[in-house]
Amino acid sequence: MKAYKYVGKPIPRQDVSKVFGDAIYAYDVKLPGMLYAKLVGSTYAHARIKRIDYSKALKVPGVIKVFTGEDFPFKVGIYAADRDVLARGKVLYYGHPVAGVVAETPEAAEEAAELIEVEYEPLEPVLTIEDALRPDAPLIHEHMEEYRHASFIYPRPGTNIANYLKLRKGNVKKGFEEADVVVEGEYREPLISHAYMENWVGIARVLSDGTVEIWSSHQSPFAVRHLLAASLGLPIGKVVVHHTFIGGGFGGKAGLLLEHIPVLFSMKLGGRPVRLELNREENFLFMAQRAGYLFKMKTGATKDGKLIAHYGEYYLDAGAYADYTVNIGRSVGFVPTGPYEVPNIHVDSITVYTNKVPTTAFRGFGMQEMHFAFEQQIEQLAEKLGMDPLEFRLKNAIVPGKSYLPTQVRVREDAGDPAGTMKRAAELISWGKKPEKPGEPWKFRGIGIASFWKGPVQPPNAASSAIVKVNEDGSVDVLVGTGEMGQGTIYALAQIVAEELGIPVEKVRVAPIRSTDSVAYTWQTVGSRGLFSEGQALMRALDDLKNQMKEIAARVFNVFKDEIEIKDGKACVKGKPWECISLAEMALGYTLPNGNAIHGPLIGRGSHVPSQTTYLDPETGRGEPKPFMTFGTSAVEVEVDLLNMRVRVLKAVTVLDTPVINPGLALGQAYGGAVMGISIALNEELKLTKDGRLLNPNFTDYKVARAGDIPVEMVAEFLGVGQKNAPYGAKGVGELTMIAWPAAIANAIYNAIGVRIKKLPITPDNLLEAIKEQRPELLKELDKYLLGGE
Amino acid sequence: MRTVLAFRTILPTFTYHRPSSLAELLELKAKLGKDAAILAGGTDLLVDMKMGVKRPPHVIDIKSIKELHVLEYKEGSGLIIGPTVTLRELETNSLLKEKYPVLWDAVRKIADVALRERATLAGNIANASPAADSAPALLVYDAKVELTSVNGSRLVPLREFFTGVKKTVMKENEVITKIMVPEPPAGAKGEYFKAVRSAEDLALVGIAALVANPNNPAERVVRLAYASVAPTPVYVKEVEELFKKDEPLNKLIKEAVNIMLSKVSPISDVRATREYRLHLVKYVTAYLLRKLLGVK
Repeated sequence: MKAYKYVGKPIPRQDVSKVFGDAIYAYDVKLPGMLYAKLVGSTYAHARIKRIDYSKALKVPGVIKVFTGEDFPFKVGIYAADRDVLARGKVLYYGHPVAGVVAETPEAAEEAAELIEVEYEPLEPVLTIEDALRPDAPLIHEHMEEYRHASFIYPRPGTNIANYLKLRKGNVKKGFEEADVVVEGEYREPLISHAYMENWVGIARVLSDGTVEIWSSHQSPFAVRHLLAASLGLPIGKVVVHHTFIGGGFGGKAGLLLEHIPVLFSMKLGGRPVRLELNREENFLFMAQRAGYLFKMKTGATKDGKLIAHYGEYYLDAGAYADYTVNIGRSVGFVPTGPYEVPNIHVDSITVYTNKVPTTAFRGFGMQEMHFAFEQQIEQLAEKLGMDPLEFRLKNAIVPGKSYLPTQVRVREDAGDPAGTMKRAAELISWGKKPEKPGEPWKFRGIGIASFWKGPVQPPNAASSAIVKVNEDGSVDVLVGTGEMGQGTIYALAQIVAEELGIPVEKVRVAPIRSTDSVAYTWQTVGSRGLFSEGQALMRALDDLKNQMKEIAARVFNVFKDEIEIKDGKACVKGKPWECISLAEMALGYTLPNGNAIHGPLIGRGSHVPSQTTYLDPETGRGEPKPFMTFGTSAVEVEVDLLNMRVRVLKAVTVLDTPVINPGLALGQAYGGAVMGISIALNEELKLTKDGRLLNPNFTDYKVARAGDIPVEMVAEFLGVGQKNAPYGAKGVGELTMIAWPAAIANAIYNAIGVRIKKLPITPDNLLEAIKEQRPELLKELDKYLLGGE
Repeated sequence: MRTVLAFRTILPTFTYHRPSSLAELLELKAKLGKDAAILAGGTDLLVDMKMGVKRPPHVIDIKSIKELHVLEYKEGSGLIIGPTVTLRELETNSLLKEKYPVLWDAVRKIADVALRERATLAGNIANASPAADSAPALLVYDAKVELTSVNGSRLVPLREFFTGVKKTVMKENEVITKIMVPEPPAGAKGEYFKAVRSAEDLALVGIAALVANPNNPAERVVRLAYASVAPTPVYVKEVEELFKKDEPLNKLIKEAVNIMLSKVSPISDVRATREYRLHLVKYVTAYLLRKLLGVK
């Protein structure tokens, strides 16, 4: 990568308000006359509501109103309007909000909430993918045919299927006939939670002119605005969404969350501000979580080590409302295999409703889950072929400009360097070298590798824009719609501005706190698209600004515009460094010696929309789904302890092909992504009872990795192979850093003890069970070591 | 029975008492009985109150009673730990680490530093969770609990203290005033093994093992106690008797493991399966005994 002054440098983020405690979160917003809302949830997973009695709740002093589903006879939702504001007629999962109390104080709201009584008629709950698909399964959504839905979503009324995606490439039947080895497997992942630190909160009010204002914890202010307006039939110009710092999102705060609830309550209460603040238990039950998965895969290769055919039935367990999950079903359907060329593919990706907590987007958007399955298929095929799994991967890796995507479109020439990441990750994990043997005979070490790819899943026309304003002192304000949730995209954007204008990065401000009515539009802050998309809009805004600077300088120095260059925050005549005008001098326009002024304030504007992405064919999935793909490979060394059945990650390596704007922020993502991926691999699961009650809506029993679980050694590298249209070549990084860990860990466990793990999480219980099934002799050995054998 | 889920953010209302002497505390407890909960660290009580598991109308904060904040050791008679002594105070006490390594090991493995700064040893015992980490450690030291009411004090061996999940022999008017840990057998060493899902977890299974004089059957002391394998913490006297036998240690270890397997009754719950808990009881018991008895 070319040497730049700011781009590519690990510049610490300028905004340190989080460190000093003066960062404002939605939680901090308190308005005069604010009321407090509290939701109560159903105690059944599936039941008809026969009666709701809130007379006792209304008697609590300070209680203003109790709302139930009948107060809001319409549905909301992002891709399909499948969600009631509050349950109407039926409850669809344990915890389903059935009523909302509004009171003058939070104490009164909490006291009243406990006094609400609901009479239910229990129905059979549908709790597994298999049960949901039974021909005689109870219907969770009985009137699905009435739901509004996006044109690219294919629900099947009369069933529990929320979306059905078909992908067809080549001739899979013929492919399997040519295959010399075939591997079949079933892989599962449970529902999990984003486990972000900041519970959701929203504060809404309706002004007397009808303007709806909301402050809430969300990733994508413009998505909240669009979905609020569309769901509630409000004019979009009358909806203002205020974006604050957010304490983590991971996809769980991507779309419309519960914003409509305080908005609707406020609308019904004369516009008084209403605050709905969730505690941890409520956040587990009222907010959407991540879907569960079942992958059935059959993959074939020829004896010379070429992938030839792949057949898949993919199922997503979406819970009661499918939100983004229908689109994740599409995502894993049209990228159904790893970063390899597979000539013949037949995949059906089916998203089903169940009577569980609703689900939504999650970091990786299905790619962690798909790779967990597919990267184990790869290893098993390599084993059957007697090939080194790394060599097998390299042999089949996507070749930019030559290979074809599963959606039949040729991979762009400058797409990246999949093979490069495989080779480098292998080097960093000492591939081929046997790991050291631990002292105790019941401990085993192994190494595992997994490659991956991912790009944003977005409509083909997902747009971004940017505005650059110059202040009187030559400093610059950047207006973008990018959410700041800790990933730091806005600080990387500031570095681009500094580089392009040649001004110190301290003079560039991208405010983390802003509102939809005062920043430039972006579709959403999801899918690792922020820097790539807003970055392109910003580059255009800077071109626009530089052009204006040149015009002013050209007039002042009486030269042609192309004789002006922008350097160190100044517009100068080329070759005459004494003929310059600084940004400060022309911030509000340039004033000539006689007082005449020219141009007025400098404002650069830029827009971006992908030019090559398309809708996908409904029968085959053919089309260009993504503006970019980032390629990478992760590798781990693990230690498996058969005494306590725990897996420890000793070393975690990840290599991405892309250059990065700020290596410090990128490493932060890489380390965080590794810990999150390892936590998902080893710990995380939303556990239900047989009748569908959530057992662990808390961090006591929803286990997230702690500081003590971080790998001993973590290494991340970025190869610097950029995509031409990306800002400084930089593609997305955020999600990519967490995708491959479960797959790499499963492969490493196989390398260590010869047990193949096809179900997450790899808890001690599940590992013990897998060992008993696959290699009971390992326990016999443990008997021998510790009890002297039988 | 409640027909909706309502999760509190704010504690329900209660009357707060903060006595400054033991006599005042005992009077209050005599008057209020089970309507009053004792607050020391609050790390169990406040969570239970928030979750609605407990709704005491009165809470008695004992942190300002100076006479309850005692941590004393006397050669020969052992250790006295008052009910407001925090886990962190114990963890950072070098004498405890040296003289009572099993207790020290258990205490430092409870939750995280922030919690240990608040939580007390007496609270860990009074809460009577089957997963209490300090219980097995105190059991292998044969600790006793002093219970006091307006009618006087009584000393209850910890081995008789627990009666069920979150149940003890404490009467409504009684409070814990001391935990007494006798002088350990000379040369005793040991450790607390805690099986967890992640760093800083509740015990999936906890095993306290204490061994003294491994090579001399007559003087040999071997004690084992367990957390999270039955409705109460488990101490098994037979194991201690077994190891008095002059038989090969290998054989005794095998027998001890079999005794333990017959004495525990683990369940499958949200934290672990019964099968996994039995695996730990079997192999970790053997592992600890071999290690502490010096069996190669």
